[in-house]
Amino acid sequence: MARKRFHQLKKVKFRATWNKYNLYNLSRLSMPRTQSLTFYQQKWKAKSITRAYHGEQIREKQWQRMFTPRLNAVVPMDHRYLAEFDGSELAAGRGSGLEKPFDAEKTKRKQAIPYMHQTYAPIERRLDMAIWRALFASSARQARQFVVHGKVKVNGEKMIYPGYLLNPGDLFQVEPEAVLFATGAPKDGPQLRVGRRVLRVRRNRNVGMEKLRAQMAERKAAKASDKASNKDSSKALISSKTPKTLLEDHFEYRKTREADLSTMIQRAEWKQHAKSKMLSAKRKQQIRAFIRHAKSARSKVFRKPFQELEKERLAFVEEFRGSVGSNTLDKAWRQAAKKRAAENSVETEAGAAEGASEEADAPKRTKTPYGERVAEEKLVALEKRIAAMRIQGDGVDPSKPYATPWRPRDFMSAFAFIPRYLEVSPKICSAVYLRHPVARPGLTEVPTPFPGEIQQLAFNWYLRRR
Amino acid sequence: MGAYNREGQLTRVVKASREQERERNSGGGSNESTQQRQPSDPNNPDGADNPDGTKAATLPPESRRDLTPFPLDPQFISQPVLSGWFKDQIWKQVILQGLSVREVSASLGVEMSRVAAVVRLVEIEKEWKRINKPLMRQYHQAVMNMLPKTLWNPEETTEENRKKTKTHESINDLPVHVATGQQIFLPTSESRHFTRKDAARVFDAKLLPADDRVPHPELAVMHKEVLEELSDEERKARAEARDASEEQKRKVALARQAKKEASIKKVDIGRFEYRFSEIKVDDAGKDGRGLKGVGWRYGVPLMDRSRGQHKIPRAVE
Repeated sequence: MARKRFHQLKKVKFRATWNKYNLYNLSRLSMPRTQSLTFYQQKWKAKSITRAYHGEQIREKQWQRMFTPRLNAVVPMDHRYLAEFDGSELAAGRGSGLEKPFDAEKTKRKQAIPYMHQTYAPIERRLDMAIWRALFASSARQARQFVVHGKVKVNGEKMIYPGYLLNPGDLFQVEPEAVLFATGAPKDGPQLRVGRRVLRVRRNRNVGMEKLRAQMAERKAAKASDKASNKDSSKALISSKTPKTLLEDHFEYRKTREADLSTMIQRAEWKQHAKSKMLSAKRKQQIRAFIRHAKSARSKVFRKPFQELEKERLAFVEEFRGSVGSNTLDKAWRQAAKKRAAENSVETEAGAAEGASEEADAPKRTKTPYGERVAEEKLVALEKRIAAMRIQGDGVDPSKPYATPWRPRDFMSAFAFIPRYLEVSPKICSAVYLRHPVARPGLTEVPTPFPGEIQQLAFNWYLRRR
Repeated sequence: MGAYNREGQLTRVVKASREQERERNSGGGSNESTQQRQPSDPNNPDGADNPDGTKAATLPPESRRDLTPFPLDPQFISQPVLSGWFKDQIWKQVILQGLSVREVSASLGVEMSRVAAVVRLVEIEKEWKRINKPLMRQYHQAVMNMLPKTLWNPEETTEENRKKTKTHESINDLPVHVATGQQIFLPTSESRHFTRKDAARVFDAKLLPADDRVPHPELAVMHKEVLEELSDEERKARAEARDASEEQKRKVALARQAKKEASIKKVDIGRFEYRFSEIKVDDAGKDGRGLKGVGWRYGVPLMDRSRGQHKIPRAVE
């Protein structure tokens, strides 16, 4: 069952995300009241709140298998001390070091190793967690998605397993565009609108974003060269390439084909059910067959290749003529056709029912871009709009999924830190996993919002002696 | 986040103002003039004045608490990262000057693994520049602005100056060995000279003393030589001897590796490279269940479908 709220406000649960509600929850996070709870309840509670942050995306059983009671720690050693003493001074006197006058400052400086903060250290070894810790994703779940979607490489090879346990020295790279999307501010109103328009054009032309950008750049270059060499038109012709979009593949064309077939079917059905005229049985059969063919063709109009559609079209006109007959046009139908033609000057195909006009149009259509003009107009308008945006600010690109020019998302700085077991290079969106996280005196490398007491209770829960 | 209190005020500012208040109260009216003169003195050594004559509202210096991202956990702090210039210097020292990773690590106070990683990452960055792949400069800038940094100090290159300033991280970290987790009472003679080496042997017969388990054992050795007041030539000679023995060890290891590689017969057919290695049937052992045995053996269950088995790669290359 899908959970209702990930960042709920009623019950404070701190999650592994950069969400603003999560930040609010962090400010409200407090130690659970344990006075009235049994030890078991305390452990349960500690486990519950810590697991909401540490590897929430991992199944409990999976984490239980990862859990280890061994906690890694290091003690920094001074090489000068190692050189000057061989350790025998600690065994002098009565076996616990020579007694020295009490030095309060020295005992104060000695800090305990926060071992309990290492409880969830094995989770930090996972690839998705490392990506999130390296500030390449805005949440652990998003990092996981990046891995699953193939946007992450480990040592130069694509790695699709978010549960891959990094080994010391592993270099992981995340696709820069994904990182910019994850860490960038979202698009605002106008950019969102223009972005949607770009998306629509892309969909209509059935090309990828890269190709669309290339096309737009090409058009722009062509226009520029056109302007530059206005006197010598032949030169401009050579330099500016015609757009490569196949009008045959065009959405507009297919849409019109569908409309044609629909009108033909409608017309045939009128004929079929017309009470004024009696039809022969053979004629009725012909009409039924035509309707059947036309309907099946209409359902496939967006799937078939263009050449077939083009061939089919003439055959349908023939069949329509044979079965329904072109000389029995209704007045209403003729009016409707006229109206449509007037309405949509681009779609000159309105007279589909009229076989003669159909045939006359056919050779023309193969030459001139059919429906292409619409897209071209759209594209020109779009280019204009983008140019206008560019005047406002440099580097504006509404086709990107984030606000351009790029800026970090709100509240990112509150969550920004890079633990020491990673060496990150944000410029190339790459990082190296240096070693497993360790605890050192007074300092932990496992980023956790919970104090040692809670961690200890959680640790005790997973020791499985309840 | 740890730098702020519940009301959203900077804790260090609140604390400083409270201290001022207390000072003012305890001082009374006698030294009013001095109070007025140094309202932000302890926090603001360079009490800069604004052009319009008012005192600039400068912040008290950051403490460790200000670097804690999580208010409840003072044990975790946002530790500084290497600045871009620092990374470039590391790359220069390793690649252009040809210093070893160990030397660079010891001289700059950066872990050896980090030095190696920085060199790798800078190399990739240079490659991206070469092939004109756009670098994420804005993102880099934004992230670096959010993090504390260890800046490159050119003065630090000399030994004396470096001692004064703090290094990026501790480079001589001794891992806590599992065997040392237990408390052992060892009765021994009072006169015995009981050293770290002996202690290690008590914990585990094979455990090495701390001197050999730290990442930079050579630093202690060098310091010992300084304490012994050896002449420069002698120290140099010893260092060379150490380097030579290291080199010898590396050569032996390389030779072993090469021998291992050579034992694998390689057949390159263009698309694939087949590798044939010698397998002995006897490796399976008398009962056919030996760990070194290969292939499917009758009666030995294949565990690859059972729960808890690793099905995803455990290492890349």
